[in-house]
Amino acid sequence: MFQTFRQAMTWLHTWFGLLLGFVLVVVFFFGSLSVFDREIDRWAIPESRFAPQPMPSFDRVLRPVFESMQPSRESVDLMRDRVNGPMPEHFDVVRQWSAYTTHRDPVLGLFAGYEVPNAKDPEEAVWGERTIDPRDGRVLSDDHFKIGSQFFYPLHYSLTLEWREIGYWIVGFSALMMLVALVSGVVIHRKLFRELFTFRPDKHQRSVLDLHNMTGVVALPFHFFFAFTGLVIFAGIYFPLTETQLKPLHDRHERIEAAETGLPHDRAGVAAPLASVDAMVAEAQRRWHARGMAGDVGFLSVQHVGDANAYVSVYRAGTDRIALTGEGIHFKASTGELLREDPPATTVDSVNEFLTGLHLQHFRHWLLRWFYVLGGLTGCVCITTGFVFFVEKRKRQHARQDSRGARLVDAMAVTTVTGMLLATLGILIANRLLPETSPDGWPGRGDLERYVFWGTWALAMTHAFWRGAPVARGERNPAWREQVLAVGALAVLAALLNWATTGDHLIRTIRAGYWPVAGVDLSLLAGAAIAFLVARRLARRTPPRARTEPAHV
Amino acid sequence: MSDGVLLLAAWLAGFAGMGWFALAMETHWRQACSEAAGPPAARLRAAGTIALTASLALCLYVDHPSMAALVWVMSLAAAALAVAFLLSWRARWLRVLLFGKPRN
Repeated sequence: MFQTFRQAMTWLHTWFGLLLGFVLVVVFFFGSLSVFDREIDRWAIPESRFAPQPMPSFDRVLRPVFESMQPSRESVDLMRDRVNGPMPEHFDVVRQWSAYTTHRDPVLGLFAGYEVPNAKDPEEAVWGERTIDPRDGRVLSDDHFKIGSQFFYPLHYSLTLEWREIGYWIVGFSALMMLVALVSGVVIHRKLFRELFTFRPDKHQRSVLDLHNMTGVVALPFHFFFAFTGLVIFAGIYFPLTETQLKPLHDRHERIEAAETGLPHDRAGVAAPLASVDAMVAEAQRRWHARGMAGDVGFLSVQHVGDANAYVSVYRAGTDRIALTGEGIHFKASTGELLREDPPATTVDSVNEFLTGLHLQHFRHWLLRWFYVLGGLTGCVCITTGFVFFVEKRKRQHARQDSRGARLVDAMAVTTVTGMLLATLGILIANRLLPETSPDGWPGRGDLERYVFWGTWALAMTHAFWRGAPVARGERNPAWREQVLAVGALAVLAALLNWATTGDHLIRTIRAGYWPVAGVDLSLLAGAAIAFLVARRLARRTPPRARTEPAHV
Repeated sequence: MSDGVLLLAAWLAGFAGMGWFALAMETHWRQACSEAAGPPAARLRAAGTIALTASLALCLYVDHPSMAALVWVMSLAAAALAVAFLLSWRARWLRVLLFGKPRN
């Protein structure tokens, strides 16, 4: 079929790149936004705009909140057909309480898992979730949608397609093909080093290809490692051996591990009180300090709450290194007696922790965070220029042959690139405009915000296809320029609405040094400036053969 | 010196290194200087290597090695992009890396 290896690689790169590029550009863009997910949360929830807080006192602040919690209605509903008999009104047996925070979180997320009586699989639990202000324990409304960490971030790894975890599989397959595209791209390229710094603007197709090659090559280590580590993180989903063939072994291993570590796997069935958790935290911090490590608590959990077998685990927030480690220390909940200190990681574990930590970024390093955004955005430019090159190379030929291929691909490219930006701005604007609580009978505020996101995207798609006729004649789709202009306008509008609805304009946030909100506003304005520059370039009268690059992002 | 200043220095060293590597190439040398003579490629590459090593050393000085490695790789990507765009926009500015006059 192919005369040379390079031809085969070109075919592979072109077609898989095109098909999965539509997924990958979404993954790259929302991945870039997820680097600052907590900061976007601050922008979206004005009442949480205060400085990050350490883990508060368990005994005084967390315990009363945990004790008042119950599983969420959604979680109970999901469980309903997996029990023999009816579900109870009230869940009394708490399997786990946990609290999680990072060095970027002002508010604190609390989670509680409950045993379900008569569950078909007794391992299953129902879950409840709360967000509190750690300074006083005040509970924040569940309807306040964390757009960054609860929407952009899940979009990045699962496209929020939850049905049968299909989203994870699509993203995983795309990541695998991304690795293929990188390798085949390097094979096709030939002048990898000679053209590393080559960008020739105003050379039409050549410029697009230059930009594609350059953004692909300079960030090659980034692209490679992020696609690869993304797969490592979800290896358990892609190879669910411990849930399928090896389930008996897995369960046995859990029990043996419990026996070895002294951390009980099951409840004893005997009630017991909970000693002071604050004292255990203080002891854990003393032990970390003795090992020369920063001692902020990142994750705190109580297992088998209320039982004689209950134990408390305290994990460190690993802000000072890449590896995602916790150096967990575990105590008997009823007495505060030390049960176990996690030993130093083995080599395999260390490699795994480094790889997952590299991707999940718990570290405290603002420059590296911004470098990650840069890496992600170069990925977007690389994929976008790939689309544009695909269309430019074919559209005149398709016009002659009366084929619709180029028009279709071009409209899809407009949809995924500028349409995605519009949808992102749409949800931010909806967040600022929707009333604090939805009227009776309406979906919740968070749901409405999501509908605006998908609605905007659908509108952008309609627009892209409706305006696509010129491509079939070998010309440019005016939707590119129109949507880029809309991106610019909406980005400015979003920043202005933040000012109008919260009073937090840039002068105030910068003067107060409140960078989470100032940073989002500045990024919106910078994005708007780039959008207007790109729109101006796209407006330049160019002969049909000459097309400037529309890729920005 | 603060970490920020040191990391800026690391990036600048990376930028200089990438710039020297670019100038060592005939095409980019011509973009930057209209000299008849070609680039002193060997010397430029040696300077580039030293600069990138210095950049790595600075990163290692500031952060834990696992973090420094990532910061270095990403800062080189940013530096390479900056050099590439500078070459296509204001190529002559790169002569600043030759300290005013092209040496032969």
